[in-house]
Amino acid sequence: MRTFLILALLLAFAVSINAAEVKLLNVSYDPTRELYSEYNTAFTKYWKAKSGDDVTISQSHGGSGKQAQSVINGLEADVVTLALAYDIDAISTQARLLPADWQKRLPNDSTPYTSTIVFLVRKGNPKGIKDWDDVVKNGVSVVVANPKTSGGARWAYLAAYAYALEKNNHDDAAARDFISKLYKNVPVLDSGARGSTVTFAQRQIGDVLLAWENEAHLALKEFGADKFDIVTPSLSILAEPPVAVVDKNANRHHTTEVATEYLKFLYSDEGQEISAKNFYRPRNAAVAAKYAANFSQVRLVTIDQEFGGWTKAQQTHFADGGVFDQIYQQ
Amino acid sequence: MKTLKLKQAIIAAVVGTQFVLPVFAAESAATGTNGTAVVEIPAFAADGGSPAQEAEIKALKQQVEALVEKVSALEQQRAPAEQAATIQNLDQQVRILQRQREIDQDTATAKAATVPKVTLGANGFSFSSADSNFVAQLHAVLQFDSRSFIHDNNAKGVDGFLLRRARPILSGTVARDFEYNFTPDFGGSQVQIFDAYTIYHGAPWFQVEAGKFKPPVGLEALQADVNLSFNERSLATDLVPNRDLGLALKGDLHGGVASYVVGIFNGASDYNSTVTNSYAQNNKSVDARLFFQPWKNSDVNALRGFGFGAGGSFENDNPATNSTTGLTPGYTTDGQQKFFSYNKNVYADGVHWRLSPQAYYYYGPFGLLGEYAISDQHVSNDSAGGSKNVDVHNTAWEIAGSWLLTGEDASYSGITPRENFDPRLNQWGAWQVVARYAELNVDDDVFKGSNFNTSLASPKASADSAQAWALGLNWYLNKNVRANVSFSHTTFGGYTGSRTGVPAQAENVLFTRIQLAF
Repeated sequence: MRTFLILALLLAFAVSINAAEVKLLNVSYDPTRELYSEYNTAFTKYWKAKSGDDVTISQSHGGSGKQAQSVINGLEADVVTLALAYDIDAISTQARLLPADWQKRLPNDSTPYTSTIVFLVRKGNPKGIKDWDDVVKNGVSVVVANPKTSGGARWAYLAAYAYALEKNNHDDAAARDFISKLYKNVPVLDSGARGSTVTFAQRQIGDVLLAWENEAHLALKEFGADKFDIVTPSLSILAEPPVAVVDKNANRHHTTEVATEYLKFLYSDEGQEISAKNFYRPRNAAVAAKYAANFSQVRLVTIDQEFGGWTKAQQTHFADGGVFDQIYQQ
Repeated sequence: MKTLKLKQAIIAAVVGTQFVLPVFAAESAATGTNGTAVVEIPAFAADGGSPAQEAEIKALKQQVEALVEKVSALEQQRAPAEQAATIQNLDQQVRILQRQREIDQDTATAKAATVPKVTLGANGFSFSSADSNFVAQLHAVLQFDSRSFIHDNNAKGVDGFLLRRARPILSGTVARDFEYNFTPDFGGSQVQIFDAYTIYHGAPWFQVEAGKFKPPVGLEALQADVNLSFNERSLATDLVPNRDLGLALKGDLHGGVASYVVGIFNGASDYNSTVTNSYAQNNKSVDARLFFQPWKNSDVNALRGFGFGAGGSFENDNPATNSTTGLTPGYTTDGQQKFFSYNKNVYADGVHWRLSPQAYYYYGPFGLLGEYAISDQHVSNDSAGGSKNVDVHNTAWEIAGSWLLTGEDASYSGITPRENFDPRLNQWGAWQVVARYAELNVDDDVFKGSNFNTSLASPKASADSAQAWALGLNWYLNKNVRANVSFSHTTFGGYTGSRTGVPAQAENVLFTRIQLAF
């Protein structure tokens, strides 16, 4: 018995040492690499000062839908910061790794920053692209990712669809025709937003990239403002990329506390500033005002208003056999 | 051709009806070698007429020539723009195709990453999930031996062939961190489970092993069967446990510079395996080992292969539980002949501890392995007047050296030939000579007493010591196949009996082995 106790103590000691090494895995979508790279550094300092513990944060990026599927299939994310709520809903409903009401746990429906879809065109805008009507013209080559796998591409699709609905007095057939013309102009479908940026900016394919606002600004920063222009359409969509702790994974890793704090810190002044500096629209009004110059004025519609929420939009447009499949197979 | 027609039409329009060009009738003839149009003037216009008409015609000719030059210049200006547009269009098409190919390749790579993998090679047959978290490997060990006892008067030591080990090995991992191994043996006269364990790999320094496996005591005992220098382990291994059921905590520190194992086991007797896969007594054995390789990761090549440490065990055998357990069934020679055993009615009675300081050194083709083993056990004779609670202190040691004649690196964990055996390519594998000396000394107190009922062991049945030397030649045809031959000579001390054979006379054995392991 004594020996058993000694061994048990040794085991407990070893486990306690193990728990002191805090590691987090943030599974995110494609264009947030730079944002979370900077944010992780800030949070690591913050957490060290607050708790005395070192935290090592790993990032994983890809198309939002693909990333959600990876988590469902066993990728042990402590937190997910994806492009749209539907993908986190899928983790909740299919893998039951977090509760269905996860969006209520943090302010603004767990969306600490927002974004929208803009156009990135070649310098001087040689094709004269100013609004969605120009994107569907014959001879205009459009680069956008596959909405079946990319969150950003779904937002872009819905932004175009919303414009078409408004232009055609909510005639759905006309809107479908419009969106069909748009995808006829798409020569390559990447699986994620970053892939699309590579296609447009590095491989120099296409006349216009339908891009996340932050991704468009990043392209200017990375490749040079002398190469591209950002064009803001007359109407776009309010993209709300949400964040959530993956409860079961975090519990298993004993990281629930630090994972929760990691996400809450996104709402802090420092977290909001980092978001704004990386061209994500901050929720905090003061920070938004400070960085107003980073963001163009554009009329934004919401997914709830135009499409009845993500679940309905997903079923109608992006599920197998949905509108996108129908128009893309034509 | 289309361009030419256009040019000619313009000229015709400009000249009007003043003269006629045979534009369409002489299409091919109207094209010069440099691609410019040659204007044919009708004969009637050149053959005569008034000087005024001739002057007018001349002026018109000059006008036409000037126009031709202008048209040519215009065409040359327009062509590069058209060509540029065409080139740009083609460039986009090529870029799109290239990008599509990249995306297809990425998709194929991503898809391949989700497909389970099957591999077959020198390391066995392996099935693996795409993420390698689940692995099932099939290995096998087959050892086909012969033993020839020389000068044994045909009294003991049966010459012949034997299947020393025949083990299919199922091993792998589940859920990434949990290793498993299941190894039955069909080589002996009965099927046994030799290894059946799982190891949780929390971190290199924190692993938990549970099941049936080798307790961490003897250096040679812990060496894999397929990597032994000789067919059989030495006399020193007679004093350490073989396999046991237990739970151990283990790990490597500083990249393997130090390694530790501490565990609790049922408690196997000297060089004996727990055969029943169950327990025999209440008290358990605590076994532990510390081993250091201080220069393992250094740049000092000559010291990288040096390792030293010690293994040991401690248990308190309780005779009240089962008086027939706790003792070795006997110590055996290289030829697996028993030269020492306790008398009937003798049982373990109290503390049993072992200690085995040990070291090895490998540098280039040279290898040296040595260990000392103490097995100290309290033993009693259950008979009336029998010796009670005698502290028996048995010791043994060995030193074994090896040299690879073909220059490969010697290693505790196996040899990989530089060239696999292939006579067609004049390749002959790796060759190694090995030598070993070992001794085992049984405590003199064991033999105190006047007869079988009072002593713990009888000098008329057992020797009190054995000394063995052995020489061998190992041939590694490749990583998986090996053949070896060795000779072992063992002498004995203290035997006073009259039987023939071991231990009354020395043992001389010629071993051979063909081994297949993958």
